[in-house]
Amino acid sequence: MKQAMKFVALAVALLAQGPVQAQAPAAAPQVRAADPVAAHHTRISDEIVQRTHVQVPLGQVQLVREDGMSVSLNDLLLMDRPAYVDFIYTTCTALCPIMSATFAALQDKLGAARDKVNLISISIDPEEDTPRRLREFRKKYDAGDEWHFYTGSLEQSIAAQRAFGVFTGDKMQHAPVTLFRAAPDAAWVRFDGFVTPEDLYRELPKPQAAVK
Amino acid sequence: MNPGRRARRLLACGVLLVAAAVPAWTKGPASAAKVGEHIFRDGVLADGAPLRGHREGGPEVLGKDAACVNCHGRSGMGVVEGRIVIPPITAAALFHPGERLAPSAEHVHVLPTPPNRNAYTDETLARAIREGVNADGRTLDYAMPRYALDDASMQAVVAQLHQLSTGRTPGAVNDELNFATIITPDADPLARDAMLAVLREFFAQKNDFSRDDKAFITSGSVQRRFRVQRRWILHEWRLTGSPESWGRQLDQKLRTEPIFAVISGIGGANWAPVHEFCEHRAIPCLFPNVDLPVAAEGDFYPVYFSRGVLLEADLIAARLATREARPARVVQVFRKGDIGASAAIGLRSALEAGGVPVVDRALSPGDDDRALGSAAQTQAGDALVLWLRGNDLARLPPAAPAAASVLVSGLMGGEEAAPMPAAWREAMYMPYVYALPEERRVLLNFALGWFRARHIPVVNERVQVDTYIACSILAENLIATHGTFLRDFLVERVEAMIGTDMFRGNYKRLGLAPGQRFASKGGYFVRFTAPQGPAIAPDGNWMVP
Repeated sequence: MKQAMKFVALAVALLAQGPVQAQAPAAAPQVRAADPVAAHHTRISDEIVQRTHVQVPLGQVQLVREDGMSVSLNDLLLMDRPAYVDFIYTTCTALCPIMSATFAALQDKLGAARDKVNLISISIDPEEDTPRRLREFRKKYDAGDEWHFYTGSLEQSIAAQRAFGVFTGDKMQHAPVTLFRAAPDAAWVRFDGFVTPEDLYRELPKPQAAVK
Repeated sequence: MNPGRRARRLLACGVLLVAAAVPAWTKGPASAAKVGEHIFRDGVLADGAPLRGHREGGPEVLGKDAACVNCHGRSGMGVVEGRIVIPPITAAALFHPGERLAPSAEHVHVLPTPPNRNAYTDETLARAIREGVNADGRTLDYAMPRYALDDASMQAVVAQLHQLSTGRTPGAVNDELNFATIITPDADPLARDAMLAVLREFFAQKNDFSRDDKAFITSGSVQRRFRVQRRWILHEWRLTGSPESWGRQLDQKLRTEPIFAVISGIGGANWAPVHEFCEHRAIPCLFPNVDLPVAAEGDFYPVYFSRGVLLEADLIAARLATREARPARVVQVFRKGDIGASAAIGLRSALEAGGVPVVDRALSPGDDDRALGSAAQTQAGDALVLWLRGNDLARLPPAAPAAASVLVSGLMGGEEAAPMPAAWREAMYMPYVYALPEERRVLLNFALGWFRARHIPVVNERVQVDTYIACSILAENLIATHGTFLRDFLVERVEAMIGTDMFRGNYKRLGLAPGQRFASKGGYFVRFTAPQGPAIAPDGNWMVP
């Protein structure tokens, strides 16, 4: 019963969010919400994408880009362009390929406008994901100049994960989370679950999208 | 596609379709299942075309990225990643009604169980794979791609799934779990005995404990947890003769003593035949004490704690490349046939790629102190790298070397116990692939306390602690399999679970993930801090080359 109420609450929350859900390409979320028991049984709660506004208390976080450059995450995010952030590791087989494929499809969708955004993928397995490995991984997804992968020491990676509120203590416990900020002074939007490229594209401020 | 190729493809399809007129798995399932396995593991169809799948609103997935194995694992047992549950697709799971196992505080890593649903038939399974509708008509999760499979390929996949993880696992029958440990003839006898003492005692303790379990474990999830406490049996496989014969010997031993997995092992210069045995016979092998493992991308069954001297070579290469004063040249000394020779090859290629000239000086078995002394001769601008064991290090000339810096393999030389002549200690530093002594002290206390309690003399702390940790990892993972003794699943469990703080032994941290086979990935450089004694201090930060 408690579960069912949770799902009703979730469904209400989703509907209340307006634009994103209203424009969702398929009516899938409503179908899912209508059958909370099924969702419970499969325990795939992430099927429903949650969109929330969050605070991201960025301290001084240094990361290492796939080309070996040391980069301040803060400086990177101060660039006057929309930024998407996700967390991956290169040997992850189940979740991360879906997320990386989503970024890849997003950059295709953006076309020429892709150079006006930042796609930031931060490794949560930094000791395995050396810059060399990230370079190979980046090639696999045909990442353009706007999409970079970041590693660093374990401590640096954890600092970044903590800042974005996605640190779980174990890479095997990580969840599909994507964050978006339209501009350095805009609020952060957090997606929990498997967003589609369409979901992400819709977040862009209108003029930006019109560039295409 | 050109007409000829298309015709051939159609022809091939036709042949397959005819062959598939009878459900493939009911008749000789071997060939169809083989095709299915290729699709399952590699995402490649019979005609070589990539497997294609798509997710609603998402991009297409192709080939290897679309293979079933990515999410469900080679065993088909699935995985729990965060809140995402990837259900098992073994024959037992698919073709029987699902049964739910409730997770609890105690079952953090709960075995992924099928959702509560009816058994699949071949037809509903094909529908699930193509359309994402399960046996009860419910929609499958977004993460499960919908696959565009032709009928023949579908038959092959279904045939493969009918076989997936079926049959009894050798070595895990009759309430017994059989393990082997492998000892090559060139293993250091002291280290070998030290390792065996820990293994024997760990197994004895395991069996002491399980003897009583029926007496006090009566119900609920606790019962489930302890149901898997079978009797552990250790087979000590001692190899003889030359490495070329080890593969044959191992096969022979496997026939007479079927085992479920290999736990630890110890050797000398050549571990490749053991590695190949594990991989070719599909036996999970957990090796904490191998200083020269085989770094074979794509191998599944052998798992190591670190890359050993290969990691040291990478650390040295990274260090010499970043140093402000890059050496004019690097002179490296090693003995032919020992593990240092392999490390030297790795270091040489890394340095030469960075434009640093390298001089190799190889010692032969009979070479005396004079030969050793002249091999270690250097000039002021050189860096000298010594891939030598303690008995060689102790016989270096007493005078300080001319080289500006001397790097000594810690793994080969004995780390802080390296018996360097006094004059060498100041100039030298060592790659150190472990946690620093003060970092590991507290964690080692647990293992060392256990040795004391079990009256195991500590003669080789490094080997004994890591053997103990490997045993603990194995035990913990077997509990997490909830009695599902599948070799592939054990490897998948180890991949997912290795890396908690309890299990890191001498290392700074251990961690794996699918496809990763070396749990510790970095190291320090250390220097002696006093003219004698084992006191060391780090020279720089932990680095991952």
